[in-house]
Amino acid sequence: MRVTSPGWTENDNLPLKDVPPARVTARSENVSPMPRLTKSYHIKARDFIRAGEASINIQNLLKSMDFDPRLIRRVAICGYEGEMNVVMHGGDGTLSIELDDEKLTLEISDDGPGIEDIELAMQAGYSTANDDHREMGFGAGMGLPNMKKNSDHIHIESLKNNGTVVRMLFMIPEKGETD
Amino acid sequence: MSKKLTSTCFVRFEKELCAGRGTCLPVCPTKAIRIKTKKAVRIVEQCIGCGQCIRVCRERAVSAATEGPEVLNDDHIAIALVSPVLYAQFPGVMPKDVLLGLRQMGFQHTIDMSYFLEMFQYAAEEFISRNRASGQAPWPLISPICPVVVRLIAFKFPNLLPNVLPVLRPVALMAREVKRRLIPEYLARDQKVVLYYINPCPTKKDPACLPADKQPDPPEIALGINDIYPQLIKHVDQIRSADAIPFYQTRFEYETCATGNASLWAMSGGEIADMDIDRSLAVSGMDETIQYLEKIELGLFQDIEYIEFRTCREGCLGGVLNATDKYLAKSAVQKMVKRFGLGRRLHRENILRMYEKGEFQTDKDPSKLTTLFGARKKALSIETMQKIEKVLQLIKGTDCTACGAPDCRTFAEDVVRGEAKLNDCVNIVDK
Repeated sequence: MRVTSPGWTENDNLPLKDVPPARVTARSENVSPMPRLTKSYHIKARDFIRAGEASINIQNLLKSMDFDPRLIRRVAICGYEGEMNVVMHGGDGTLSIELDDEKLTLEISDDGPGIEDIELAMQAGYSTANDDHREMGFGAGMGLPNMKKNSDHIHIESLKNNGTVVRMLFMIPEKGETD
Repeated sequence: MSKKLTSTCFVRFEKELCAGRGTCLPVCPTKAIRIKTKKAVRIVEQCIGCGQCIRVCRERAVSAATEGPEVLNDDHIAIALVSPVLYAQFPGVMPKDVLLGLRQMGFQHTIDMSYFLEMFQYAAEEFISRNRASGQAPWPLISPICPVVVRLIAFKFPNLLPNVLPVLRPVALMAREVKRRLIPEYLARDQKVVLYYINPCPTKKDPACLPADKQPDPPEIALGINDIYPQLIKHVDQIRSADAIPFYQTRFEYETCATGNASLWAMSGGEIADMDIDRSLAVSGMDETIQYLEKIELGLFQDIEYIEFRTCREGCLGGVLNATDKYLAKSAVQKMVKRFGLGRRLHRENILRMYEKGEFQTDKDPSKLTTLFGARKKALSIETMQKIEKVLQLIKGTDCTACGAPDCRTFAEDVVRGEAKLNDCVNIVDK
């Protein structure tokens, strides 16, 4: 069965992949398209030593650009939590980032066992981690709740035994708009 | 546009010796080196004085901006400010004998820095235990002792500047004490005084680099341990074999070093070994330090209270200006600690009284540190980032460094910024 995170309606501007609003309108008005940057990084299952590398790469990329450090921190935390989920539970996966002047999208996908009950998985403290994970200091059941807390919008899609996709949206405040 | 010169405030460079092989390119943590027309050039304001390029240069074209013992002469009072790393260079020798050797060499005063390190340690413990309740600074706190770590944070990880422990560094405590107690009487007698920092690494800024109105008073000169070692070892051997040990008057406790274990500070983990903090870590090595700082930025290690970072492997013993191999020196330190144990000379109550008076407070605003590096490179926009990606796809490189940049990513950025030409890349020329 295909499940998605609760609160999801067709009117939400997600999943972003299917509806790139900026580009469509720009083209129709014959204005040059908004510059867009995409990058993806491979995540290897069970590789605890190198886990976090993809998020660090994204963090370094954003640091060389003109972003608010607080935004970078939120993105990095979400990336890392997602990466750890893939390393612990998923199969191999991908962390990708897409950004333009208005928004930043982070997508973490894997071909692991999938999440059976997303609503339950979103609850703080709920965890399917095993003892080995806990011994390493992971598996506190805060992964998805943390990602929800630090992103402006989160959407999860999962198919049993067929992987999970977590997509997070971060709005980029206009220059001078930051509080 | 950034200035490109060959020498920086921390290292000197002899162009004639440079073979242009570029071994220094990838080891520079701030990517400040390029090869232009077969010679290394440096983006001067990006140098943080880590000494990595000195370590890897086979031609010895790079050296520290330090002086040799020939600068000592009779026309001034010479005060040696001694890093405890110096003791570790003499296996089996008591620190006080090393200091006597310095006196024989011509220093009128020798100041044992380990005394001030202890002082710092008490103050650090106090700040950390108060921070548990006050939450004044974020965990994990980062040791400010290694100046390269602090500069690295200011340059690459400015978000972590609030994590740097806001307690005055031991070097600053030492210099303040000397200026308060020791120097005034010489100045009253119109005698010239010079402070000599005896260091294991090139982290002391060359005064020639500072503007005229910022010159230190009294003058400060950095001496590398390897600069003075050949002379010093003769005096130390003499002292150890002599029947009558020469006597020098000392007025202050810190003019000699009564304990054997002071060299512990030179070792990675030496700072936290005797500290009253359970959740602490010691990390050494440039790559390891960067990896940990990256992870702290990701929000990890918040359950740790204090991290001692040293960018040299094995700690200051691994400093590039040392005279004894770091593993031999480490073994010497371990023997000393085995014999003398851990332990402190100072009394906590006295230090706490100073702490209450604000004697350890740094008046420096950490965020000002980022201005150390002058005009920073302009942040990249999405368009420029796209161009960089395009260049990277075009060159399909292997970080061969033949273009004179440390890696393909840096080269692509240089090209887009107009500081390098695309056909400097061998992959492009071949096509």
